[in-house]
Amino acid sequence: MSNENKPKVNMRITGMRGPRNYSAVEKPKEGKKTLMKLLQYFSKELNQVILLIGVVIVVVLCSVFAPSMQSKAVDTIAAGEFDRLSGVLIGMIFLYALSCLGTLFQNLISAVLSQRIVKRMREDLFEKIVNLPIKYIDTHSHGDIMSRMTNDVENISNTVSQSLGSLVSGVLTIMGTVVIMLWYCWQLALLSCSTVILTVFVTKYLSKVMRGFFDKRQLILGELNGIVEEKVMGYKTVVAYNRQQAVISEFEKSSDELTKTGIIAEVFGSSMGPVMNVINNIGFVIIAVFGGYFAINGLITIGVVSAFIVYAKQFGRPINEIAQVYGQIQTAMASAERIFAVMDEKGENKDGAADMTEARGVIAFKDVNFSYVEGKQVLYDFNLTVNAGSKVALVGATGSGKTTVVNLLMRFYDVDNGEILIDGVNIKDIAIDELRRNTAIVLQDTVLFSDTIRNNLKYSNLDATDEEMYAAAELSNCHDMIKHFSDKYDTMLTEGGQNLSQGQRQLLSIGRAFLADPKILILDEATSSVDTRTEKHIQDAMVNIMKDRTSLIIAHRLSTIRDADMIVVMDKGRIQETGNHTELLKKKGKYYELYMAQFEGNAT
Amino acid sequence: MFKLLKKYWFFALLSPIFMFGEVAMDLIQPKMMRIIVDEGVLGLSNNNIGDLGLIASIGIRMIIVVILGGISGVLSGVFANLFSQQWGNEIRKACFERVMSFSFQQTDKFSTGSLVTRITNDVTQVQNLATQTVRGFVRTTLLFFGGIYCVTSLDLKFGVVLACSLPFVVCGVVFFIAKATPFFDVLQRKLDRVNSVVQENVAGARVVKAYVKEDYERNRFGKANKELVDTQLRVLKLFAFMTPLANLVLNIVVVVIIKLGAVEVEAGNTTPGSVMASITYLSQIMHSVLMLAMIFQTVSRGKASANRLNEILVTEPAIADGSFDGDTDLKGKIEFKNVSFAYPQGNGEPVLKDINLTINQGETFGILGATGCGKSSLVNLIPRFYDATKGDILVDGVNVKDYKLKNLRDKIAIALQKSELFNTSIKENIIWGRPNAADAEIKTACDNAQASEFINVRPEGYDSIVAEGGMSLSGGQKQRIAISRALLKNSEILIFDDSTSALDLKTEARLYNALKRDYKGVTKIIIAQRIASVMQADRIAVMENGQIEACDTHSNLLKTSEIYRDIYDSQLKDGGELYE
Repeated sequence: MSNENKPKVNMRITGMRGPRNYSAVEKPKEGKKTLMKLLQYFSKELNQVILLIGVVIVVVLCSVFAPSMQSKAVDTIAAGEFDRLSGVLIGMIFLYALSCLGTLFQNLISAVLSQRIVKRMREDLFEKIVNLPIKYIDTHSHGDIMSRMTNDVENISNTVSQSLGSLVSGVLTIMGTVVIMLWYCWQLALLSCSTVILTVFVTKYLSKVMRGFFDKRQLILGELNGIVEEKVMGYKTVVAYNRQQAVISEFEKSSDELTKTGIIAEVFGSSMGPVMNVINNIGFVIIAVFGGYFAINGLITIGVVSAFIVYAKQFGRPINEIAQVYGQIQTAMASAERIFAVMDEKGENKDGAADMTEARGVIAFKDVNFSYVEGKQVLYDFNLTVNAGSKVALVGATGSGKTTVVNLLMRFYDVDNGEILIDGVNIKDIAIDELRRNTAIVLQDTVLFSDTIRNNLKYSNLDATDEEMYAAAELSNCHDMIKHFSDKYDTMLTEGGQNLSQGQRQLLSIGRAFLADPKILILDEATSSVDTRTEKHIQDAMVNIMKDRTSLIIAHRLSTIRDADMIVVMDKGRIQETGNHTELLKKKGKYYELYMAQFEGNAT
Repeated sequence: MFKLLKKYWFFALLSPIFMFGEVAMDLIQPKMMRIIVDEGVLGLSNNNIGDLGLIASIGIRMIIVVILGGISGVLSGVFANLFSQQWGNEIRKACFERVMSFSFQQTDKFSTGSLVTRITNDVTQVQNLATQTVRGFVRTTLLFFGGIYCVTSLDLKFGVVLACSLPFVVCGVVFFIAKATPFFDVLQRKLDRVNSVVQENVAGARVVKAYVKEDYERNRFGKANKELVDTQLRVLKLFAFMTPLANLVLNIVVVVIIKLGAVEVEAGNTTPGSVMASITYLSQIMHSVLMLAMIFQTVSRGKASANRLNEILVTEPAIADGSFDGDTDLKGKIEFKNVSFAYPQGNGEPVLKDINLTINQGETFGILGATGCGKSSLVNLIPRFYDATKGDILVDGVNVKDYKLKNLRDKIAIALQKSELFNTSIKENIIWGRPNAADAEIKTACDNAQASEFINVRPEGYDSIVAEGGMSLSGGQKQRIAISRALLKNSEILIFDDSTSALDLKTEARLYNALKRDYKGVTKIIIAQRIASVMQADRIAVMENGQIEACDTHSNLLKTSEIYRDIYDSQLKDGGELYE
């Protein structure tokens, strides 16, 4: 979590699974559905899966046969037939070599398989994430989305690579052993199965109890991580208010609670092994006692009893293993469910036939109504026409709906009703990519990437030449600043530009937007941290670049917007008045009030 | 880190002891099994007639042994967890406490993101390491040596064969571990890379979409993902060889022992039963070797984490308390004497050059200047967020380095450029600096900060939760909460580090009026971009390239400072006419 472009947002990442987004108890509610989806990933690697199962069968057969070869060798020795021993030993060596080779291939294949599946899963998930509507990203904790990509995929990766082999071979061994046991003596086989039933019952009960504690622990862990994240990211505020001690005790309280729950959860977890061991050995005693009883009564032969003892042992091991991977698989299933939950989200609808190659940039809002949350309308009957090539400024108090206008124009959100037209074409009919490709935007919260300055500038236009880049940097007044860096344009931005001041980052974002060469330019508080002199230079430069283009500017600073062709004063989602600077001042309306406010307070 | 073991070493000791019990019970069982089979079922010493009573009695004894073993196992787990979880807790707390004492120079060095992962993920890794060590490691080692002892006691020659083969196995395991360990670092880096791409895409979704860079990002992610997967695959492939090779060696030993056993049995030196028992023990040893290999993986990962945590724990706080603990007569006077400053992690270029400045008690002092000219750096030196590279800073006549940090910072309330709000109620955020403030005081602070108007219209008022995602509060509202917080602190020095930039002008003007009215005796430093924010200040400093170019009142600066006039022109020219 080291790359912050929007520190304000990231500061409040609530750790792995933020408590608010944690759906209380996380049983794999849709186990079957999730499993089916997981299986789809396996089915895409069918060759590997079949190969793996084939190899596992060989290994299982070897492990079933190896003990009998061993006892055969011992029998040969006991019978004193030493000349026959060499043959048996050669057979054994062959079997062992085969088994080792098989295990090697099993390991290799499951490694490849797991990594392929995980790779595809990450790609699919990322593909979904990039195409999620902004609404999803705005309304979900970023930490939560992140943790699906990191923790949850990691969980699945580990489970597939570590547990899959033992699961498959375990199941096969159990099946094989059950068949052989039933073949020998069904009564004893059923008795052996009683242990299995006991095992399953205990596993189920224990893991149910465990799950409760593990869930609780996960919840507290999320809280704890939230505290760490928030307080370390906001360390300056902690220090400035001398709150270190209070923060430490809050952390310690949470940490102690985590430890308490963690101990209980882990104790249950670690008891699983010994408990299974006990059940297995009890099963063994049952076989010995009843087997002996049957043998003495002549129901079965002694050989069958000793065979059963070997098999009962063989039976126990995979059940133990499965019990051990059971928890891991449960976690992985829960993880898979969370991943699929994101994948099942609807992506942005990017369709649209109209293209914008000839676009001149006439923007028209017609009776647009919009609300982010139902019942809380943000824009009311918004009507506005922006002529091609003009510079329009939106002003108004915070919450008046200025940024919403941008969100709608970029189709980050879609209007509730009404329509937005560009050159007479409803933007819903324009392919979303086409629309955005022709529109450059600079946001108040700058987003820069952990890459070189060059790549950050060229982000908007990968084909731009260095000359074009220098020109854009020059125009956005960041060339001078870049010149002072040791590696100039190849300077790496650490943590997404955290090594720059907010103003410097804004300059880079503006440079990036200039390089995009857009038909429509949107600046949303883009120069709020840039000093006004620099801003003036940028504005002067913009006059040239934007000569035949439309620009939309949102600002608090009236100096930023004074030169606009049209100023739109907004209040509570409605347009109050429009006109240019001089007209509006003459009108002595809302704008005049805003403008005078700069002095009224201070002019005592 | 081991200092933190303190009261938990006892658990760390108890766990292996009970583990010893479990292993002992495991070792007794085969013996009893043999009696059941040989005497109970086969009746070897009773003319091959089985004895059901014997089976039953041994069976009951065995169940007792099994249950005892199980209880030991569970208890061993209990103590292992008591140990590892509590130790981990101590480490976590110690690390967090240490981080909370770091200077910004130190948090910059670690980077906040890395500190967060260390305190969260790395501690978990170390806990796993601890559990594995006291439990898994002890168990496998006991089984390993127990097995060797049993084989040797059965037949010395078998022991010799085993002793000859073990170095191969151990060397092999060590070889693989040594080879794989450096990969874990690489793996971590690749994982970080993947995470950072995702992070950037989630946080920067608007920009990615605005520039239609979904495909570009997919490629970028695909590359990072491929690198991660390739590295992971290399590690897995390396380990894929380890178990089969170890198995092979031990299986060859089995064959050798059978062959040797045949010779021995033929010579009458040993019995078939002993050969069989030896083989059983061999498989036990084999399992423990493989388990050891698994444990080593956890250990090598855990060790890297332990190192990362240790880096935090051995870092001594760079900014230490001074000795001055008294009260000062002056309240709110600040002096900079020949102060220069360069960021320790920076490129060495000074951000501030030879600053000399005195700000008097109760003065309202404005600072203007271009982006990156050093305004924030200047005020960061006052509460010792950073220490000056050269020169002295005096607050109320005392060098800031001589103060106890707490006392110094109590004197100063700062509203930061980036309003850092916490994920809790608005009220909690405001009383951050004074948790026991009365409601009336909170109300006054919010009134003055112009925050009441938007807080009161919220259905839950002061108890509204400051939620993530930016949907709940606008930039201006966040700033006003941060300002309320600073005002409530009631300090003698109030610093606004460009913290009103998102306020509309009217609101800002009301705020400054309130400040003027109610905070007369408080020294106010206001960093701003808008000239309107500072023009009523007693004095205004114009900064350029880390130096103070001019420092005077608004009207004098208009006459004397070209830069100031330039700034003024860029903002107020038209309005200026109206104003005058």
